Amino acid sequence: MTGAAGAALASLVFPGTARSAKHFGTLAESELLIGFAHTSPVNDGGWTQKHDEAIRHLHALYPAIRTLYVESVPYSADATRIFRQFVAEGAQMIIATSNYGDFISDVAEQAPDTIFLECDGHRVSDNLGWYYMTHWYASYVIGIAAARLSRSGRLGYVASFPTPSVLASANATLLGARSVNPSATLRAIPINSWFDPQAAASAGAALIDSGCDFLAGIMDDPGYLRVAQQRGVWAAMWNTDMRQFGPDAYVSSVVLDFAPFYAQTVRRRLAGSWRAEGRFLKLGEGVDRDRWGARVPPAVAREADDVRRRILAGWSPFTGPIRDSRGIVRVAEGHTMSDADIYAWDWQVQGVSGLV
Amino acid sequence: MVPLRESIVTLVLALVLHAMAYGSILALAAQGEVLAERAGVVDLGVEGLMALGAVLAVIVADATHSPWAGCLAAAAIGAAGAAAFGCATVILGASQTLCGVALTLLGLGASGVLGHSVAGRPVTATLPQWTLPGLSSGSPIGPVSSQGPMVWIAFLILPLILHVFLFRTAPGLALRAVGEAPASADASGLPVIRIRMLAVSAGGALAGLAGAAMTLSVLPVWSEGMIAGRGWIAVALVILCGYRPVLAALSSLFFGFVMSLGFFGQAQGWPVAPPLMNMSPYVVTILCMIVPSILFPKLRRLWAAPAALGAPYRREER
Repeated sequence: MTGAAGAALASLVFPGTARSAKHFGTLAESELLIGFAHTSPVNDGGWTQKHDEAIRHLHALYPAIRTLYVESVPYSADATRIFRQFVAEGAQMIIATSNYGDFISDVAEQAPDTIFLECDGHRVSDNLGWYYMTHWYASYVIGIAAARLSRSGRLGYVASFPTPSVLASANATLLGARSVNPSATLRAIPINSWFDPQAAASAGAALIDSGCDFLAGIMDDPGYLRVAQQRGVWAAMWNTDMRQFGPDAYVSSVVLDFAPFYAQTVRRRLAGSWRAEGRFLKLGEGVDRDRWGARVPPAVAREADDVRRRILAGWSPFTGPIRDSRGIVRVAEGHTMSDADIYAWDWQVQGVSGLV
Repeated sequence: MVPLRESIVTLVLALVLHAMAYGSILALAAQGEVLAERAGVVDLGVEGLMALGAVLAVIVADATHSPWAGCLAAAAIGAAGAAAFGCATVILGASQTLCGVALTLLGLGASGVLGHSVAGRPVTATLPQWTLPGLSSGSPIGPVSSQGPMVWIAFLILPLILHVFLFRTAPGLALRAVGEAPASADASGLPVIRIRMLAVSAGGALAGLAGAAMTLSVLPVWSEGMIAGRGWIAVALVILCGYRPVLAALSSLFFGFVMSLGFFGQAQGWPVAPPLMNMSPYVVTILCMIVPSILFPKLRRLWAAPAALGAPYRREER
């Protein structure tokens, strides 16, 4: 028992490195019931919609499996109740498409024969794993295009909350931009929401009025893309292809596709080969830059795509020296930030302001 | 480098433009609530009615290719929702607070169901820009002179109409009498229930219109949860403005201004913490409520709520 607790502790300390040894038996396709807990409605036009599309893809691949979902699950004890209900309904697999911390791990402890997966989670135990996409590589690639397209070298960023994920996204965008224009800067405005089209549009307009001519961000809605279109500046988005909302302004998106990962997870569960682990989905493995916008010059797209190919081949742009916004070297020359480091990023790189 | 003075002018104009666009949503809803509260009914369902108006405006505008049909539908659903609320509170005498909150929850939920098909899609038929006559785009305030029609309706036309109506006409006096002393109004022959129902429905229509202004002009796209508490702000503004339509429009403009100032401050890199900047509209509201009433105690009486506000009127119990 102590050994198991020790292993669980080790997996808490080293997220992503641990892989549980616990086996789950094989299942027939018709026996599998998966419960999904979503953080927003399935038609939110962004994050949850991408998960919902992946679920529909699962049904096409495995017509006999059954899935349940609950939308807008709050980050509260209500989430615990919903996970428990999934267990009571006989789900062998419960997938939370956002971080639910203790609310999911508590239930996972009490239901050792049910598999739990948490998107953006941090804990691994025998039956609880997590997955997250390494969106920072896509942001870096888009950052390169941003620096080439921006005349002023001032990029704006519509942020939600100053969380590591948002810092990684903003930092990666500017590091990409600085790789071609060392004097580029990025000004972020956190709007304290993942979804508030009016606030996102206001923040975008304020950034443009302050001299930014390229907007990036991490929003579920196309709010600031419309503003960029009206004002004749560039914008890069998140989650989905949003070019219809601003065809002239659209540069690219950090596009997500969870279908391959969910298909693989189900395949492993059916075959009895699923093991709990923390899993980073690499560039091209469920996260990528979107097809470039119609007005992005081919030369710019080519230059950014060359870097994308290098990343796909294994090169990491997150290599020192990297300074923080106070000028202190945080990643020494020759060192490369691992995905786990980037996943826990809690400082702004030099040139980024507004987040911490 | 742009000369400093010119860049300040540009910045202020951008701020005003913003404040007008976003303030117009609050102004429409707040003036609707002024009507209802002047007649003695607190309608806390504004948030839900705005959500319903916002989604129906998009659905109807998309189907008919006419943004004005969308506005009409939004006003109609707002009026209908408010009339249902009125049936429960004004006619049957149920608690206004409870029914208002229920209406908000109902409106938010129903709008989510109704909007499943249009969520996140660009709105095809949006409201045109109206340019104020006599202001050429070349003048220094040119950019401000051309705005969505709802802006002009919310800030120029509606305050004027409502002010004249409430304070200069007999029906307006009747409406206020019903809110101050329904028993006396009843005794003098005024149809209390009918007047309250009309006031509440008209207020609901304006709340629905506020939702339409958001989805057909300001943003323009619908997605669930997009009202994001602005209906509650409108309700608060009614108290702040002392139940006066002109002041309701002005305080909405001011609120829009303070709200956009928060974003501009962050974009300009002012050395103020973003959380402080984001809370500024609410801090300013609280200050505006407290400071004048301490400095000028007389204001408390002038600014007081209608005497019968929130109390259902039952003739049998007077």
